[in-house]
Amino acid sequence: MTAILETRALNKHFGGLSAVSDVSLEIAAGEIHCLIGPNGAGKSTLFKLVAGTYAPSAGEVLFRGENITRRKPYERVGRGMSIKLQVPSVFRELPVAQNLEISLQRKSSGRAMEREKERLLEFLQLQDDAAKPAGILSHGQQQWLEIGMALALQPTLLLLDEPTAGMSPVETERTGDMIQRLNAQGMTMLVVEHDMTFVRQIAQRITVLHLGRVFAQGGTDTIIADPRVEEIYLGKGHVG
Amino acid sequence: MFAEVFSIAFQFADVFAFLILAAAGLAIIFGMMGIINMAHGEFITCGIYVTVISVQHGVPLLLAQFLGALTAGLVGIALERTVIRHLYHRPLDSILATWGISLMVTQGMLVLLGSSWQGIGTPLGSFKVGDYTFSAYRLALFGAALGVLAGLYLIFMRTGYGVMARATMQNAEMAKALGVRTERMYAISFGMGAALAGLCGALYAPTMTLIPTMGVTFIIESFVTVVVGGANVLLGTAPAGILLAVVRTALNAWYGQIAGQIGLLITVIIVIRILPEGVSGWLSRRER
Amino acid sequence: MPPMLRRLNGPQTMGNGRAFWLGFAAVLVIALGYPALSDPYDVGNVAYLLIFTLTALGLSLMWGYAGMFSFGQTAFFGVAGYSYGVISINLGASGALTLLCLLGGIAVAALFALLLGYFLIYGRVSGVFFGIVTFATTLALAAFFGQTAGPEWAIGKARFNGFNGMIGMPPLELPWFGEDITLEGNALYYFVLVLLLAIYLGLRVLVNSRFGNVLVAIREDPLRTELLGYDVRKYQLAAFVIGSSLAALSGVLYTAWGQFIPPASMGLPAAAMPIIWVAFSGRQDLTATVVGTFLLLLMFQTITVYSQQYALILMGFLLLLTVLLVPAGFVHGIGRFLGRIGRRDKAGSSS
Repeated sequence: MTAILETRALNKHFGGLSAVSDVSLEIAAGEIHCLIGPNGAGKSTLFKLVAGTYAPSAGEVLFRGENITRRKPYERVGRGMSIKLQVPSVFRELPVAQNLEISLQRKSSGRAMEREKERLLEFLQLQDDAAKPAGILSHGQQQWLEIGMALALQPTLLLLDEPTAGMSPVETERTGDMIQRLNAQGMTMLVVEHDMTFVRQIAQRITVLHLGRVFAQGGTDTIIADPRVEEIYLGKGHVG
Repeated sequence: MFAEVFSIAFQFADVFAFLILAAAGLAIIFGMMGIINMAHGEFITCGIYVTVISVQHGVPLLLAQFLGALTAGLVGIALERTVIRHLYHRPLDSILATWGISLMVTQGMLVLLGSSWQGIGTPLGSFKVGDYTFSAYRLALFGAALGVLAGLYLIFMRTGYGVMARATMQNAEMAKALGVRTERMYAISFGMGAALAGLCGALYAPTMTLIPTMGVTFIIESFVTVVVGGANVLLGTAPAGILLAVVRTALNAWYGQIAGQIGLLITVIIVIRILPEGVSGWLSRRER
Repeated sequence: MPPMLRRLNGPQTMGNGRAFWLGFAAVLVIALGYPALSDPYDVGNVAYLLIFTLTALGLSLMWGYAGMFSFGQTAFFGVAGYSYGVISINLGASGALTLLCLLGGIAVAALFALLLGYFLIYGRVSGVFFGIVTFATTLALAAFFGQTAGPEWAIGKARFNGFNGMIGMPPLELPWFGEDITLEGNALYYFVLVLLLAIYLGLRVLVNSRFGNVLVAIREDPLRTELLGYDVRKYQLAAFVIGSSLAALSGVLYTAWGQFIPPASMGLPAAAMPIIWVAFSGRQDLTATVVGTFLLLLMFQTITVYSQQYALILMGFLLLLTVLLVPAGFVHGIGRFLGRIGRRDKAGSSS
């Protein structure tokens, strides 16, 4: 079966600096694939290469078998990718509900859209804040709103860049639940993460990046148990 | 033949001097505070006015010009402390607010001082090369422009103020954290920008017929030079001056004054499209 | 209610309740009856003011809703006006043909907007620099038209006339049973009023629709909007062409009204006026823009009778005040204040 996402020997350098070298990975349908690695490993760069905000210096990106390497971000989103960036970027001045609408209106309209909006607000636990400007939400709530906006596009592949950044442990666990519920409904995901507890909670397969290259790749248990992975993290994180 | 070449070179030097002298003050303010000062023309007019009044009261020209620059600088500092300080790094709002000030000052001067003033004569007479006659004073202005560029270089590269100013331009937050008093930096820089504008006016006062709206004559050229040059005064203003002077001189020679001005405007459009950060942005990127 | 009419109200417009629409109806009735209550000179004058509110609406759409700071409204105003002149003088227009010339003038300007907009938007020029380039374009055009004084500067029978401006174009005429109606005086007033009404309502529907949602999203965060799958540049170009075309419509109406179009209508200080009207009124709202622009123009005109200098000083002062105190616009601020009172009243009466 065709992988939902495939990268082949992706390369990205900036001037003399090689941020990503020869990275190949595959994500099957319904899989939660986590991208981990110490700071500066190239995770964010790789993420942006998949999303399309960066163009690769070499290599290819395939989405559902189609070569999308030359496609701009909005074209990739049109084909079924949905992207949540690291820094929460909701429309701060606009009401929470309108934020969702701007996303939803791509796929639905009228009463169906209203129903979907209510459903999402409930899923994200933001019903009470629907009319408020998104900027006043807490950091964690803004992250959820953004995930909600990504979901509203009914994507085939959900790309999340550090979804739990800046969240409290309680919020982190709730995010993990959200992700697992989505996955139970069949959603495929690529998640960049730092928090190893969270990764352990949700990941099915992991790619470890180090200095821009693939350091290790495999099932969650294999990777977590690998002592070399622990070593490449400066001052071993919460592995285990 | 030599006379022809000299004539073109002279015209180039003339336009170059005008652009540099007109743009220097605006460039400093833009580079330091990210503000586009649409009242720039009014500081120039201030310099002109103070110079002319002083000369008419018997003050020697050079001293009068110094007074013109000084007055503009002081007014600039006052304006900065009252209005401009609310507009740092808000380029759009600064355009609107300074435009409002410019309207008020220009029209106010029309009301208070009438629509034309008595001029002062151009000093230093003229000299001939071949069949052409040239104004010696305008040659002196070319020297003044070079002097301003040299002076700015010295100030920004060799003085304490210069080091702090460059730090603030690069990264204001960082500079503040390192103890630079950014508020004072901004006030001094705005004052310097205003003083340079006043100097420009003071220097050109003996060459023009004086009307209160003459700031407009300067604003377009200075504006264009700053945008083409980019935010870095040292790297950008001189190259921009050269490029635009070439365009202007060529078009003036072949098609006349209006074509020259339209040419400048078209150059701005093209440069922004190709080099969004101006010449200095492009140059500093290449160095990396 | 058909879905389009529902869109007259929405998140992007202030004034969605019954009180607002009642007030709107009252103003409309007064506007319709105005010619009966006043003399032809005043009526012609109000028509003249209303023509300019179209330019302001266009700028509000581009700047207030889509976040594009265009300094080019007067450029399109002028290009359309001159185009109308060229077309109508050469065709020897009268009757329904003049309306074709109206469309022709707008079409030329709209094409120009499309080209300029494409050049800038697809060239990723944005923010202040968008304003700077459109400003430079406007000034360049004004300078160009200003030096067209000689007889060689003509297209067919239409001479440009340099600083003095183009003259001799026919007024607009509406085809009617029997005799064509020349659009001047009361007829022009009603024509402009109906146009303004249609455009205002049309824009309300537009900004409250999906298209409008995307525009404000682009204004807030263009990158985020692109990551939601929208081709941001297409929306920006559309907004730019629509907004500039409204200025073009203004230009043609102005030219037909006075049978005259000068370069001064494009250069400074004219080029800055739409910015001042819209900044002062409240660019993010259509109603605030219309009301504020009309009042400002009225005030400007009244003071100019005594002294143009004082009028401009006041404009400059208001602009400064707006930026420092009420960046969202005075009329916009008043509107929001009224809205809050309305909500408090409702809350009070329900408890």
